[in-house]
Amino acid sequence: MNQSRVIFHIDMNSFYASVEMARHPELRGKPLAIAGKVEDRRGIVVTSSYEARAHGVKTTMQVWEARRKCPQLIVKTPDFDLYRKVSRQLFDLLRTYTEKVEKVSVDEGYMDVTALASRHHPVKLAQEIQQQVFHHLQLPSSIGIAPNKFMAKMASDMKKPMGITILRKREMNQTLWPLPVDEMHGVGQKTAEKLKKIGLQTIGDIAHYPKPAFIEQFGKYGEKLHDRANGIDEREVDPQSEHEFKSISQSITLPKDLTEEEEVQPVLRRLAARLERKLKEKKSMSYQLSLSIRYNNWRNVTRVQSVQQPLQTEEEIYQRAIAIFYQHWNGQPIRLLGITVQSLEPMNKATKQLDLFTYEKDAQKEPLYDTLYSLEKKFGPSAIHLGWKEDPRDQK
Amino acid sequence: MEDFIHSESVDSDLQLKVTISREKLVENVNHVIKAVSSRTTIPILTGIKFVASKEGIELTGSDSDVSIQSFIPLEENGIENATVDIPGQIVLQARFFSDIVKKLPGDQVDLEVDSRLMTRITSGSSEFNLNGQDAEEYPHLPSIREENSFNIRTDVLKHVIKQTVFAVSTSETRPVLTGVNWNIQNGKLSCVSTDSHRLAMRTISIETEDNLEKSNVIIPGKSLSDLAKILDDSGSDWVQIIITDNQILFKSNHLQFYSRLLEGNYPNTQGLIPQESKTEVILSTKSFLQAIDRASLLAREERNNVVKLKTLNDNTIEILSQSTEIGRVFENVSTKSIEGEEIRISFSAKYMMDALSKIDATEIKINFTGAMRPFLIRPVDEQDILMLILPVRTN
Repeated sequence: MNQSRVIFHIDMNSFYASVEMARHPELRGKPLAIAGKVEDRRGIVVTSSYEARAHGVKTTMQVWEARRKCPQLIVKTPDFDLYRKVSRQLFDLLRTYTEKVEKVSVDEGYMDVTALASRHHPVKLAQEIQQQVFHHLQLPSSIGIAPNKFMAKMASDMKKPMGITILRKREMNQTLWPLPVDEMHGVGQKTAEKLKKIGLQTIGDIAHYPKPAFIEQFGKYGEKLHDRANGIDEREVDPQSEHEFKSISQSITLPKDLTEEEEVQPVLRRLAARLERKLKEKKSMSYQLSLSIRYNNWRNVTRVQSVQQPLQTEEEIYQRAIAIFYQHWNGQPIRLLGITVQSLEPMNKATKQLDLFTYEKDAQKEPLYDTLYSLEKKFGPSAIHLGWKEDPRDQK
Repeated sequence: MEDFIHSESVDSDLQLKVTISREKLVENVNHVIKAVSSRTTIPILTGIKFVASKEGIELTGSDSDVSIQSFIPLEENGIENATVDIPGQIVLQARFFSDIVKKLPGDQVDLEVDSRLMTRITSGSSEFNLNGQDAEEYPHLPSIREENSFNIRTDVLKHVIKQTVFAVSTSETRPVLTGVNWNIQNGKLSCVSTDSHRLAMRTISIETEDNLEKSNVIIPGKSLSDLAKILDDSGSDWVQIIITDNQILFKSNHLQFYSRLLEGNYPNTQGLIPQESKTEVILSTKSFLQAIDRASLLAREERNNVVKLKTLNDNTIEILSQSTEIGRVFENVSTKSIEGEEIRISFSAKYMMDALSKIDATEIKINFTGAMRPFLIRPVDEQDILMLILPVRTN
């Protein structure tokens, strides 16, 4: 652990726009914006090509405004299915170098290449990866090289597009420390204001501030911030993290092929019960469920359904799954059944569109929410959160 | 000379021969094609039935759930639409026929069918030959006895459809909710739709014969949307409506629109509408709609489109919305009055805009009964339109 590591942060340059250009070569070199709703003048620009940025088009700008800045702007609606597909190809490619790849989002990830660094020079390796990504997917990227995740992330931001930047600990006083606190990864607008109020303008100012005093003012989060400003970040590159947060799957390969509805129901219930337990462990709710059926001829069918009312309990998950099952089962013998819950949201952020026929159940909890609200008003947000009673079945 | 003899010999073989104004034909094909589905299980229903008689030309399209029949009279207001030389009937592939007539070059279209059902369509210098199908094989439309009918003005019917059909469910999990529920009692027609997240109700007076009563009539939302589109240019002032056990028929001047009704029992929605009110807000429809519209710029980037509404002290409400990624928006909207308890409530901006845009009143009143309970939006002095929305629970 204390041995010096080599971490890459790979950041795709204006990913959505680049994917569109790779797919539609006629768009290359043109100002392109991806926006929520093209036909709606007030759609918001999600991302734009460098050509568009040169004209002053910015993310979150409304389409009409972007068009005013850049009349020849081409506006497209996002094709998220395509972006996800290309993203999978990208990470598959990265994994051919090392297993230690952590996907942070569709367009960025970390790689721990310490093991490769004994044989390849890190910069050569980064060039090779960047070229391969560009060659196979026609996508520009920037790579940051550093001894930890934080510095790698800061490094990839320094030169775009197609940049490779190394941040070394011993050069921090020239590279990282002169940067304003706003540009430090992990510092939001609020924190930046607070930092400036106590006279800390640059990352170097944070690094040199006495640590105990800093922790006193910024808490546990402050400790991390202070460490990172000093080039200390021990977080591992975790290949599992993506799966942990983005979806949870459960499946059963059946001891014998199933042919009757009545046999399927208890299997789906069991899967649903397991998922409920996992969701509760992670304090999450799901807005999307997919059901997989594998037939005895190895044909796989997977069907996804999105919901407005987040799922968490066995009953909610089971009802969705069985409804999808009835819609899509072709009657053939089934070898495997699986349920995946995805599009997860932390419980304290999940919203639920109430239902005319069932809202009474939620309304019963209303006095509780009122209490929470008055506590929040008194003591500030996050003073208290809703918990849940441990289900006795969960305890083994 | 040879040509002449040739065409004579074909003529003698003809089963149907007409000349129609292309504009009229296009207009009416467009009407009936709304009922034609490419996914029908009865192959002949992918076609349009074309019948020429001494009175005029009748077109029919159907997917067996919805059937539309449109009639082109030979003459209308002194203008000649068509001439029928040989009456007859034929079924033509709907997609091709409709695309062809749209693109024909001339003002007139000649249509001839020979004994092998080969259909020759000519216009200007262009000629198409299409394989037709035997009209005898085309299913009969439901026969409906014209009793218990009632009439609604075309513009009123279109408006009523617009005010309700938007709230039907698009999910098949509860099929009855994909329709609009019509009930007739005491000379009033009430139309209700709900997707279980919001509900729309509109009531109008109608003139009926012998105190007509109907309940649990559930008309597929799609049928009503299609009907409203066609009624646009039908040029008739009244629509006659006949309801049977499983069918509804809308008849206007030259149009007959049949729709299957949905089976099942529509839930009792009357009991679900709150009768009491803990907070009543009266405000301008337009300024409220515009504020919600602005808030939705950020809300729609998030799940469930959430905007938050909060009553403040000085007859003002606060509208707030935020997106973790993009930002936040605040706005204060002045109201005419706020009575009752203070309220903080979250709801879908989309549902609110849908509802507000269907109410033609300058001022509305909103009645809340709690942050987790449905609330009502109505014009200030009118009882015949009501919009209900279920809030979103946020933590």
